Amino acid sequence: MATVDVDTETASAARPRRRVDALFVLGLAIVVVVAILAVIGPWIGAYDPTLTTPDVSAPPPSLTELPGLMSTWLAGGPAPHFLGTDTSGFDIFSRLMAAPRTDLVIALSANGLSLVFGLLLGLLAGYFRNFVTELLMRVSDVLQSFPVFISAMVLVALAGRSTANIVIALAFVYTPIYIRLTRAEVLNQKNRGFIEAARALGNRELTIALRHVLPNSLAPALIQSSVTIGFAILLTAGLSFVGAGVRPPTPEWGLMIASGANEIILGEWWSSVFPGIAISITVFGFAVLGDALERRNEA
Amino acid sequence: MKLERAAIDAISIGARPLLAVEELTVGYPVDGGGMIRPVDGLSLAVRRGEIVGLVGDAGSGKSTAALAMLGLARRPGRILSGRVHFAGRDLLEMSADELRNIRGREIGIIVQNPRSALNPMLRIGRQIGLAYRAHNRATDEETRQRALEMLRMVGINDPERRVEAYAHELSGGMAQRALIAIALSSRPKLLIADEPTSGLDVTIQAQFLDEMWQTVQATGSAVLLVTQELGIVANYCDRVLVLHDGRVVEDALVEQFFEAPQHAYSQAVLRLHRERRLTFGATFPPRNGTPMVEVRGLIKTFPVRNSAKVVQAVDRVTLTIRPGETLGLVGESGSGKTTVGRCLLRLLQPDGGAISFEGADILAFGDADMRRQRAKLQIVLQDPFDSLNPRWTIRKILTEPLNLHTRQSRADKARRAAELMQLVGLDPALLERRPRGLGAGALQRVNIARALACNPSFIVLDEPTSVLSPQARAGLIELLGRLQKELGISYLFISHDLTSVQYVCHRVAVMYLGQIVEEGSVEEIFRRPRHPYSQALLSAHLFPDPSHRRVDNPVAPALQGEIPSPIDLPVGCYLASRCPYANAACRAAPQRLEPCADGRVVRCHRVVAGEIPVPERIEE
Repeated sequence: MATVDVDTETASAARPRRRVDALFVLGLAIVVVVAILAVIGPWIGAYDPTLTTPDVSAPPPSLTELPGLMSTWLAGGPAPHFLGTDTSGFDIFSRLMAAPRTDLVIALSANGLSLVFGLLLGLLAGYFRNFVTELLMRVSDVLQSFPVFISAMVLVALAGRSTANIVIALAFVYTPIYIRLTRAEVLNQKNRGFIEAARALGNRELTIALRHVLPNSLAPALIQSSVTIGFAILLTAGLSFVGAGVRPPTPEWGLMIASGANEIILGEWWSSVFPGIAISITVFGFAVLGDALERRNEA
Repeated sequence: MKLERAAIDAISIGARPLLAVEELTVGYPVDGGGMIRPVDGLSLAVRRGEIVGLVGDAGSGKSTAALAMLGLARRPGRILSGRVHFAGRDLLEMSADELRNIRGREIGIIVQNPRSALNPMLRIGRQIGLAYRAHNRATDEETRQRALEMLRMVGINDPERRVEAYAHELSGGMAQRALIAIALSSRPKLLIADEPTSGLDVTIQAQFLDEMWQTVQATGSAVLLVTQELGIVANYCDRVLVLHDGRVVEDALVEQFFEAPQHAYSQAVLRLHRERRLTFGATFPPRNGTPMVEVRGLIKTFPVRNSAKVVQAVDRVTLTIRPGETLGLVGESGSGKTTVGRCLLRLLQPDGGAISFEGADILAFGDADMRRQRAKLQIVLQDPFDSLNPRWTIRKILTEPLNLHTRQSRADKARRAAELMQLVGLDPALLERRPRGLGAGALQRVNIARALACNPSFIVLDEPTSVLSPQARAGLIELLGRLQKELGISYLFISHDLTSVQYVCHRVAVMYLGQIVEEGSVEEIFRRPRHPYSQALLSAHLFPDPSHRRVDNPVAPALQGEIPSPIDLPVGCYLASRCPYANAACRAAPQRLEPCADGRVVRCHRVVAGEIPVPERIEE
């Protein structure tokens, strides 16, 4: 027998042109730069980011001084402090470049952990609605009702101030978001025809949940990831700022802001402002990327 | 009536057409530059007092064309060239203000999906009023009167109450009629209706189209009716335009179109109807022997949220399906026919009754036994776009049942997948593709192939043709017949499309509010429906046959009023409140299914007593 109508909508083969999304490109560029810094950052600066230098509270050189300093450096002299040094004598530029490794590693691990737990629990809560999963949802409601910063601070304070504990604390506060997002999508997907078809074919419920529902319910959580990583960086810095985060002299933006915070009033603005700008740009990049991904997903 | 139409044609041939579209082209930019042109050099004319059907397959540009005639295009599309003469002026040359004046006042438009076209925040009366006031000066009181008048005209009961209603308080049919009221409030000279009845039940569809037809006859306005339904075309249109690749490829009077279709598309669409015409049922008899499926007293209820009440979805349904037989299950939406299909496969757990499959009581099976049994009991769902996992290739989709029920080698499975594709008439090269981008007809064939993978002996077909274009629908009906003949499968064919049922089924059961009201052979029920509900259903159905147009043989509306809520069902016969034959005895006592002399069963004591006349539906 002759084969039949395959592409009834021939028009759909030629997809309508997608507008180039400037924000998407900008967000992606920022994220890529931060990711590269996380790998090679500690070797960019001329100074070891964890060791002090004899120059204390040196302001960033003005543009007119810079050529002279550069030539001294090239002639074998000491390297310039491009962004100055703080009150302990740490080179701010070297620490600024090295910090993404600390911040991004914490943020990525925390996000990864909460993503995995959130996806699985959200899948169970959405697919098998029973007493246990409803209880899970109420617990996650309660967790979400605390400000994330307070929850994270309390958790780190209770568990002890270590990188692993910060990761766990962040993962804990972000998991409920993923549970809720995934559950909502699962509730959508589980009423679709191919789920019923899978059941009619004789699949077990758990198989249907894992093989059919989960892969089709990933998008909202993955898109949220970008935003969450941004906020996790902010939260890591915040914890360090209040002294509940990583220990000095680890290069970390929040710590850097904290160490300079007291001196701003004395006019020594550079040790806080540069890491502050770095955090803002990074969080902005992740948030914008997340937004753009969401728009693309909807389109 | 026919003479009158001829007279109108004669008068209007000399006159200028009301709407004349010339060389209209709409383009959409695509990746990599360039344009696709869904409407490409379209020319057509609509005269006063004429109902013109614009038909064509999915993707032929019908809806885009309908919008473009109002000077509109969905972004990022643009009208590239052409002229749209309306009452002597070119709409595409007009300023936005002038055009706005014409839209709504001179040309009304009705779109698909009435609910999304109504504003959920505004009362219906106010929405009609806004449309009216956009083009007419009127006081508040005049506007309200106008809204009431419009609602009354489109046949909404109790307009004083409905005028205060919000969109969500209206049924689909009423929402659609409210939309008509908006479109007609300024008495436009031309109405462009884009699939105005898609998603409506047949009885409401017929009511609405009857009203539209009467309005056109009374006011001399014209209608351009965009549709895929041949039944609508045959029964209401004077002329048919066939759209293909964005241009009109055939322009014929409706009788001509059905008698001697010219274009390949028209011939393909009409082939089944032309070949089968007045035959009923599948072309071969079922085998005798022990029943394949036997259902006794099936009951299914659903709890009502925040209430102790229940919805009685299926009420003591009894069915028998023999090997190689197709039983049609028909009825309006909400009649419970889909629930019956789900219960038969235990996709829903019945609340009572017995289901036996090849002699085994499947309700007694444990989970593991039931899963094994599913190789033999399959289902094809209504929406082909939704019933295939969008992330899987067709190969993976077809191999899933083989992995579940067989222990075949990889090579055997690949062979079987290719075999299945050929069986349903698809190119095995498609195996590596994902569902996205394939047409509804092809996807529904994949669904059927998946159901066939483990050689089932029984398949529930749940409205398998309802979202298909007429062309794909005809192909699928032929495919189902061929598969049944070759493989001896039994079908339960659930459908509200009586034209498909007519060609596919051996026997038909008619459902109303969870009960079977009549069951018999297709021919008996289609020719001589006995139960008042079957009679109403069949008289509302639009058969694609222009020699028996509904508008030429007006039928009195058989059923009045609204369907009772399945939560608070009446004590007596469920149809009593709407049935023209109901008497005190009907309202007092529930009706039993009783056999008639001619072998069918009917749930109506007056039918059994021979008190209800039986119309001869289709004369030869």
